[in-house]
Amino acid sequence: MSVKSPAAARHGARPPVWKSLLKALPFIFLTAFMLLGGGASRDPRQLVPLILTFALISVLFFRMVHTGRTDRYRAVFFILMAFCFVLTFITNLIEVRGSMALTEEDMATGQTPFCHMVIPMTIIPAAFTRTIIFPGSILDGFANIATMFALWIGVTLALGRGFCSWGCFFGGLEDGFSRLRRKPLLRKIGHHWTYLPYAVLGAMVLLSAWTLTPSYCEWLCPFKAVTEFEAVTSTRVLIQTIMFGSLFAGLVVVLPILTRRRTQCGLLCPMGAFQSFSNKINAFDIRIDREKCTDCGQCIRVCPTFSLDANSVAEGKTRLSCTKCGKCVDACPQGAISFHVKGTPVGHKPERARMLFLYPAFLFLVVFGTGMIQGALYRIVLLVTTGSLIQ
Amino acid sequence: MIEGFLLGLSTGTSCLAFCAPVLLPYFVAEAHSHKRNLGALGIFLLGRLTGYLIFAVLAWAVGWLLLQPSADREIIFGAARLVLALLLIGYGFGLFHPACAVAADTSRGNRFQRRWGVPLPLWLGLLTGLSLCPPFLLALTETAQSPSLGHSLLFFLAFFAGTSLFLLPLPLAGVFRRIAVLRPVARLTAGVIGCYYLYLGLLMITEGGMHS
Ligand code: SF4
Ligand code: SF4
Repeated sequence: MSVKSPAAARHGARPPVWKSLLKALPFIFLTAFMLLGGGASRDPRQLVPLILTFALISVLFFRMVHTGRTDRYRAVFFILMAFCFVLTFITNLIEVRGSMALTEEDMATGQTPFCHMVIPMTIIPAAFTRTIIFPGSILDGFANIATMFALWIGVTLALGRGFCSWGCFFGGLEDGFSRLRRKPLLRKIGHHWTYLPYAVLGAMVLLSAWTLTPSYCEWLCPFKAVTEFEAVTSTRVLIQTIMFGSLFAGLVVVLPILTRRRTQCGLLCPMGAFQSFSNKINAFDIRIDREKCTDCGQCIRVCPTFSLDANSVAEGKTRLSCTKCGKCVDACPQGAISFHVKGTPVGHKPERARMLFLYPAFLFLVVFGTGMIQGALYRIVLLVTTGSLIQ
Repeated sequence: MIEGFLLGLSTGTSCLAFCAPVLLPYFVAEAHSHKRNLGALGIFLLGRLTGYLIFAVLAWAVGWLLLQPSADREIIFGAARLVLALLLIGYGFGLFHPACAVAADTSRGNRFQRRWGVPLPLWLGLLTGLSLCPPFLLALTETAQSPSLGHSLLFFLAFFAGTSLFLLPLPLAGVFRRIAVLRPVARLTAGVIGCYYLYLGLLMITEGGMHS
């Protein structure tokens, strides 16, 4: 039995360059309009990052269309976005506040940028108390509560849990670490642990309703380690700091390197668990053509979020937690896995389904990530020209 | 009171996961219609409530008579929380499998029913109400700190309401399959709540240590 390369198995030969260009051009124009709509700055320190970001987006999207591969190019932007977000966020904080640590005063005045991780925990308290249990502002500031909710609703309707591979500016950190080794050192992770995010979600929603505080943010969220956290002024905060610090080191850095999986997303994140349910209402999913599948298990091995197992492959589906990253689609040697529009026959015009998904998905990625990448490039230009990341 | 309800809600999944499979055969084997099943569930819940209230009184009495007067009560309660949280974590993350008390042979219940006329669901309810599973023990430590007997009773009443919500769908058909899916989630939720109590226990001990 001959094993073709995945992209070849899916599409036969690559399409001519002009055809791919034609398919990619509307997206490239849209991005140009988004980036330049407000007029470009004449300051070369702003202009260079803008041009570089635009070039990167155009090349990645064109390559995605032309090669038939999704994850390889998605991951470049997704990972870059996450690391750039961290760089931009921390340098901004130090510029404005002088430190990553939040004081009680900052929280009392609602100066914490709203983060999507807290969304599931705010719903029950909001229903009962008509307030959002988060020390952020509803309408003011760059990451206010209203804007973040609107963006989240949009991306959820369009992509379902695809949000976790095409929108979340934290996911790229572990995605990046998970690609550092060619082969995993640790292969076996008990199947029952993949239910942990649902348990964390349930426990955190209840605790938040009970204490009327965003419990997950307070004592678990690993990403506080690379954004902002409460200044350690009491035993309580010390214990919380040890907890989120260890979770960051373990689940975002060490385990992804050892397992080649996104262990925080697959084994802890309550937002991801919450988002999984939206896969039920979303129009896109990933399906396996059972007639082509040889049960080689390659897709199960590569899935970063434990969203495929022998049962789901036998049923021709992913588990509820699929983030639509496309890694299994790229990896299947038989070209048996494809993006799919619900309600259509499996494996029917898979490239069309992929393009229908790619347009909104990559657009969201660009909307979330462009500012972050530009911001980080600007900081790097600053470093090169002035010797400091801070203005 | 809301605390009791939420503790019941968050740990009650384990009642569904572990006690319910023992009860289900009864519902399936004994009762015929949904209506009759619902009646049996009502009697079962009554027995369970009785068990809970007996414990509420006991827990309050122990806390009030023995522990509250102690100068080190923060440390004692903190340590109790810590140990029980560890139990809950062990149970939640699959280190051991405590059985629900009702898992005891139901034939004894059948004998009670024949000899004393105690309906089997009431007996089963009382047994689950007296079951020393980790969530229940955590509720016990909470009530041992109650300022009054009334507070203790209310806490257990709310805990009962929270856990009972999970048992309500039992008499209905098709629950078997869903329980199988919920089981790992239910266990792990109890484990996560255990982590939170571990944190509360640690905090109580360190703060109690600073005060004394
Ligand atoms: S779908 Fe998965 S198991 Fe089936 S052939 Fe493709 S990689 Fe192998
Ligand atoms: S099932 Fe495929 S698309 Fe879904 S998360 Fe896993 S690798 Fe990505």
